[in-house]
Amino acid sequence: MKKETSEYPFDWMLWSSVMSGSKVLDGTRKEYEALLRVIPHFRGVIDLLLSQGETGRLFMRMGAEYLDDIKTVREKGKKLCFGTFVAAKTLFFAFDNVVPVWAEVMTVFASILFRKGTAEYMDYCCEAGFTETSCSAQRGSVGAYLAGLAERPDFLVCGASGICDTNANAVQFMSEYLGIPLFQLTFPSKLTGREIDEYQRRDYRALISFVEEHAGTRLDEGRLKSVLEEHRRQDELINEIHDLARLKPCPMPPIHNLFLYAGKLQMPGRKSFTAVLESMLHDVRKNAEAGRAGTSSGRERARLLMCYIDHYTTDGRFWEWMDANDISLLPTLIFTFFNKGAPYARGREDQTYGIDTSTMDAMLDSLADINAHMPMVKQLRGPYDAAGQWREDLFQMTGLMQPDLTVYLGSMGCRNSYGANKLIERDAERSGLPALLLFADAFDDRVASWEFCQDKISEFMHVRGILS
Amino acid sequence: MIDAMREAATTLENRFVREWKEAGGKVVGYSCTFIPEEILHAAGLLPFRLRGIGTTSLSIGDSYYGAVNCSVPKCILQLAGQGSYGFLDGSIVTNGCDSMRRLDECWRTAGRDYPGTLPGYHGYFAVPHKSVDYSVAFYEEELKRMKEALEGHFGVTVSDRALRASISLYNEGRKALQKLDGLRLRRETAISGEDAMAVLIAAHAMPLDRFIRSLEELTAKLERSPSLSNGKKRLLLMGSASDDLDFIRVIEESGAIVVADTVCYGSRTYGSLVDEQADPLHALSSHYLGNSICPRMLGYYGSRRSFVSGVIEKGAVDGVILQNVRFCDLHGSENSIFERDLEARGIPCMRIEREYGPLSETGRIRMRIDAFMERISQAASTPAV
Repeated sequence: MKKETSEYPFDWMLWSSVMSGSKVLDGTRKEYEALLRVIPHFRGVIDLLLSQGETGRLFMRMGAEYLDDIKTVREKGKKLCFGTFVAAKTLFFAFDNVVPVWAEVMTVFASILFRKGTAEYMDYCCEAGFTETSCSAQRGSVGAYLAGLAERPDFLVCGASGICDTNANAVQFMSEYLGIPLFQLTFPSKLTGREIDEYQRRDYRALISFVEEHAGTRLDEGRLKSVLEEHRRQDELINEIHDLARLKPCPMPPIHNLFLYAGKLQMPGRKSFTAVLESMLHDVRKNAEAGRAGTSSGRERARLLMCYIDHYTTDGRFWEWMDANDISLLPTLIFTFFNKGAPYARGREDQTYGIDTSTMDAMLDSLADINAHMPMVKQLRGPYDAAGQWREDLFQMTGLMQPDLTVYLGSMGCRNSYGANKLIERDAERSGLPALLLFADAFDDRVASWEFCQDKISEFMHVRGILS
Repeated sequence: MIDAMREAATTLENRFVREWKEAGGKVVGYSCTFIPEEILHAAGLLPFRLRGIGTTSLSIGDSYYGAVNCSVPKCILQLAGQGSYGFLDGSIVTNGCDSMRRLDECWRTAGRDYPGTLPGYHGYFAVPHKSVDYSVAFYEEELKRMKEALEGHFGVTVSDRALRASISLYNEGRKALQKLDGLRLRRETAISGEDAMAVLIAAHAMPLDRFIRSLEELTAKLERSPSLSNGKKRLLLMGSASDDLDFIRVIEESGAIVVADTVCYGSRTYGSLVDEQADPLHALSSHYLGNSICPRMLGYYGSRRSFVSGVIEKGAVDGVILQNVRFCDLHGSENSIFERDLEARGIPCMRIEREYGPLSETGRIRMRIDAFMERISQAASTPAV
């Protein structure tokens, strides 16, 4: 790791960048333009976020609040829980002394904001003992923790066991390497059924006991109820946004896709995310009423469905490129949230979760059910063509959102999706949906540059006559 | 008898399988040590551990799997697609790891593209990743469903009595293998690691009663045989799936003897016995899920380290080879933690990443092993300060 990289703590650098970024529009336009000159490496993404007006500003503030919680964890006497994105944060916000920090969220922040992305943190993981082929989504931030360049977590939580080996393994390694206690939630391969619910609910209660033990506090019923009710309100807003995204042209700006799932992974059940969603819905409704696409030009030349995850290249160029090319970015397949009212869940209510706040037991069951439907946890736990799994979700979303093409992008560590992405591609093509597999890494531009990916997508759309 | 076992270890449709089939028997392939062979046996089926030996191309495997998947299931799929598993009447795939779990849908899809290459019975079997009361209960239910599915497809009944008899027989096999382990771990070892691995593989590639008889004859002979140790360095082989006898031969040609292993296809399945008094399915569930040697059981590194420490001590091991097949993150990353902890105790370790399949990297592997042997020898000859 280069000296300059290890000069400042990783989490502090993110906090500093995002906190400053969230304030830039508090000044004058002239001050903002002057600031852009001194942040050459992420001026594009700041400009992109703030071009979304109030929604962008609220999103930045939410990110700043998230990172501020992490930065101030010790001075506020709280416990830091490190985990991965497949565990729902809702539970942790119901403890008043626990701050959850998720590996992939930190990796994405750093991938977008740092000039060289997270390459050095990823490589540090390999020096510490990870395989080079472990997933970059975790390595991008875990490296900083292994190197002692971030606040040491008090305990670790992972919800990827049975879903993604490399994800679960990253936290397992961290636990052994740093000597920090870990709880692994595990999931059966099937999604629905009484015995599945029972297993997941028991496992989740074991997680709560673990968190209580290491936080030194009991889960508070009143606080939990309040967080879950906020979560439910957020789900309602998400459902309405996703429902509007079905319109042609799609009124949802491409970057809103990130706002939605980043918020869901950062701040579920927190008011700052509700504010982002309310503002998003306002923007999307306004575009829908005007018959405009969500792109800056208001035009839609193609509708793209990312059938796994997005690309988190430096400076947010992925969303900027979509926008500049008038490509509507439909809700990314993995980042769908299967609550009972979700438009993509209609007719498949058995694959959804509900939120019941009537009793403590009902709330605990709701938490377990939310977690059982997290991104990847829902779609990649069993055979790709089993009920409620990857293929069914793709077809359901295709019917609903009417994409012109679908693109697969993952990471080099993704054994699970790589073991079925050729089958997904084939099924999509046979059903009439043009499908492109990108051999690249969403978090590591060194595998294939964003320019390479961009060229591939452009050429694919040209060859298949997709761009109108 | 070792020749027969070597044949079983180095060919798929070996003579035991052929004889079984000629007698009208059915064979069911399975992918992972977490499938209780007892249930297959009690159903009158021959359990056969799926392997990827002898592949010379991955043209079929690569058509379904992605570039970043491990070559073990790819090789199995290759063999299946080219008809080498035509002798199977059934197949069961588990979520042993993420690459292996996808063998289920890749094989089913390949079965449509290459008609006749998917066995008549094919099942996906999910194994929990932790061993607690509710996961054991869950696994027991899954075993019950698997038993019923086998009964339905093959038109047989698996009675509790048959299951108990199978458990008893498999325990007998475990005891025989434990005895072999005892011989391997002796100071004066009379069996090479290469031959021992052939025995371990054969245990899951031929009818168990015949295997036990052969193994008992072999161990009786080994007890009278001269030592092969002859001052050779004693190694423990750990890590990913390894059923390539040539790989062990290359290690042993460097002046070592592999006296123990913890690899998949190796010594993972017989460390303890199944409870013969308890309800059979519950006993199987507790036993198989309680086996935490594979790092797919996340959170059990501590018990794996204790187990390995015991083997090192009993076998007077001079060094440990920690190998992983490329893209096997579970073993690959845990190997580095093992390396840290074992080296801290003064036990030399060598970590190596390799490909599964025909030994295409002999030169590189030989060079690494030679260097490791040199290191161990120097450490042994350096007087303590």
